[in-house]
Amino acid sequence: MSKKIPYLILAPGLILLVFFLLIPLVSVIWPTFYNGTLSFDSYISFFKDTYNFGIFIRTIRVSIIVTVMCIILGVPTAYFIAGTSAKWRGLLMALTLFPMLTNSVIRSFAWINLLGQNGVVNKLLASIGIISKPLTLLYTEFSIIIGSIYLFLPILIITLVGVMENINPEIMEAAETLGASRIKAFIKVVLPLSIPGIIVGSILVFTGTLTAYTTPQLLGGNRNMMLSTFLYQNAMTLGNWEDASVIALIMIVTTLIVMKGFNLIANRIDKRGEQDA
Amino acid sequence: MSFVDLKNIRVSYDGKNNILKELNLSMEKGELISLLGPSGCGKTTTLRVIAGLIEPNDGTFTVGDSNLTKVPVHKRNFGMVFQSYALFPHLTVRENVGFGLKLRKEKKEVIEKKVQAILEATDLSHYAERYPKQLSGGQRQRVALARALVIEPQLLLLDEPLSNLDAKLRISMRIEIKRIQRKLGITTVFVTHDQEECFSISDKVAVMNNGVIEQYDSPEEIYKNPKTEFVARFIGFENFFALTKQDTHTYTTSDGTLIETVHSAGRQQTTGTIRPDDILLSAHDQEIPSNSLAGTIRVRTFLGKSYQYEVETSIGKLLVNDVQVPGYQVGDKVFVVIPKEKLILV
Ligand SMILES: Nc1ncnc2c1ncn2[C@@H]1O[C@H](COP(=O)(O)OP(=O)(O)O)[C@@H](O)[C@H]1O
Ligand SMILES: [Mg+2]
Repeated sequence: MSKKIPYLILAPGLILLVFFLLIPLVSVIWPTFYNGTLSFDSYISFFKDTYNFGIFIRTIRVSIIVTVMCIILGVPTAYFIAGTSAKWRGLLMALTLFPMLTNSVIRSFAWINLLGQNGVVNKLLASIGIISKPLTLLYTEFSIIIGSIYLFLPILIITLVGVMENINPEIMEAAETLGASRIKAFIKVVLPLSIPGIIVGSILVFTGTLTAYTTPQLLGGNRNMMLSTFLYQNAMTLGNWEDASVIALIMIVTTLIVMKGFNLIANRIDKRGEQDA
Repeated sequence: MSFVDLKNIRVSYDGKNNILKELNLSMEKGELISLLGPSGCGKTTTLRVIAGLIEPNDGTFTVGDSNLTKVPVHKRNFGMVFQSYALFPHLTVRENVGFGLKLRKEKKEVIEKKVQAILEATDLSHYAERYPKQLSGGQRQRVALARALVIEPQLLLLDEPLSNLDAKLRISMRIEIKRIQRKLGITTVFVTHDQEECFSISDKVAVMNNGVIEQYDSPEEIYKNPKTEFVARFIGFENFFALTKQDTHTYTTSDGTLIETVHSAGRQQTTGTIRPDDILLSAHDQEIPSNSLAGTIRVRTFLGKSYQYEVETSIGKLLVNDVQVPGYQVGDKVFVVIPKEKLILV
């Protein structure tokens, strides 16, 4: 009896999962492989189309750039926050989190204001005479990247602060007594010990950017489609549910591959096995 | 001028309270000195000033001819063993120990040789490929020591390195530390709050209280002649009473009893102190011994190798350890004899 109870407790959740997640997913994906016979034709023809392929590559490229930029900006920021006193840390964390409390549509509109032809950035550059005619900043890959970094940087910082504040500060000091400058000690000690946090944060940022809809929709426009906006266009505007399903699976598989890849990297770098943080 | 000199060091963390006040300390080359004092008295802070992890608000720190007060930590070449050991969790024992040498850009073969030698000296060669979390407390402690020693530091700084070990290991490790320190002739500062540990290992002891050094002497001198009441209390003097000077070596207690001591005080009013072990008891029916007070046994506690008595006298309660058997019972009248060479004035 005692062995069956755990399964019984799991049952409602399991049923919910099967009915509301697995079945709809399979029913969407299945037809892309099967119409009379089993084949990968839908996928092969999707990738053969240079327009589609371009969107796929842009999505990957933007996600990679956003992830890398978030790491570059987030690691030092997180280290700084983790090193402050408890009082300051609370305040800085609240500031970091603050943008996440606002709606992503509003946050994207803020960037439209900043980056538009008559936006703040162009006006500023023109007024100090760096440019004579407005730059095209909005509705470019650049604006998607900027908007996404703004969207996901807090997630990376918060994940990393959690990991970094658990690193014994004496370890850093030990490195210094052994002859490492602050920066060397950071690179040789804090950075390797932060790898687990960087990996988790990067997965969140990468998959977040890959699947985000509002930001690329509002800041990218129709000429800079990402997989998510392309999927929406196919399903809602064109009514092409089959292509939409193909895109959906491509996004899912890409996400899984990337997560697996990050975990492999993590295991290779972090040789300690289980953590003792 | 001494080899190492701390002059008028003042440290304040918050700008209001001084954690170290006008601290002075000097060491000769090759000496092992201890900072001894209760938790919170500023031992770690002093060590961190020496290491360069804290810049003092005032004062100077020199080694040899160079003023190091403002030299950053990583340019000092001091080996430090932290109380938490602070090993690098992501590096093996071998990599931990080689960390400092690698930063010094020494040749690979040289590094390997030096690391191997120190691993053997500290009995760690079998564990070279393990990670810190796969080691016992004693092994971690040795890794921390090896890592600090392998860089051939000018000074070795040890912050309560034995406090996380069990009693038996603590004794063998302190002998080991002393042996290595002697062999390498390395000038060492050892921080501890354990009196026995400190006396057994040190050439000189600085007893600290509240950010100042109350006494800086050889262990024997501190044990025999504590200079202040704080030092006396810290090293096991438990009986304190007021004395008034009559002559160089003659004093009277508050009730007028004449007491002699081989020591002498500069002041008219002073405090006499004696260890419970050093007081003698004699039965009341005998003739009155010299240098004694009459008293009554109030509490008797069995300590194993002796009994401890609380004796009520005219100058207050005195603690006495006495080995006589069967000893005295509660309520017995006794004479408390204070040997004149054991009565210290603070
Ligand atoms: N980083 C710090 N900030 C503020 N106060 C501190 C700090 N480090 C130590 N202190 C205070 O300084 C005093 C001395 O500390 P410490 O040198 O660590 O003593 P010890 O090592 O003798 O136990 C203590 O009262 C402690 O609370
Ligand atoms: Mg301490």
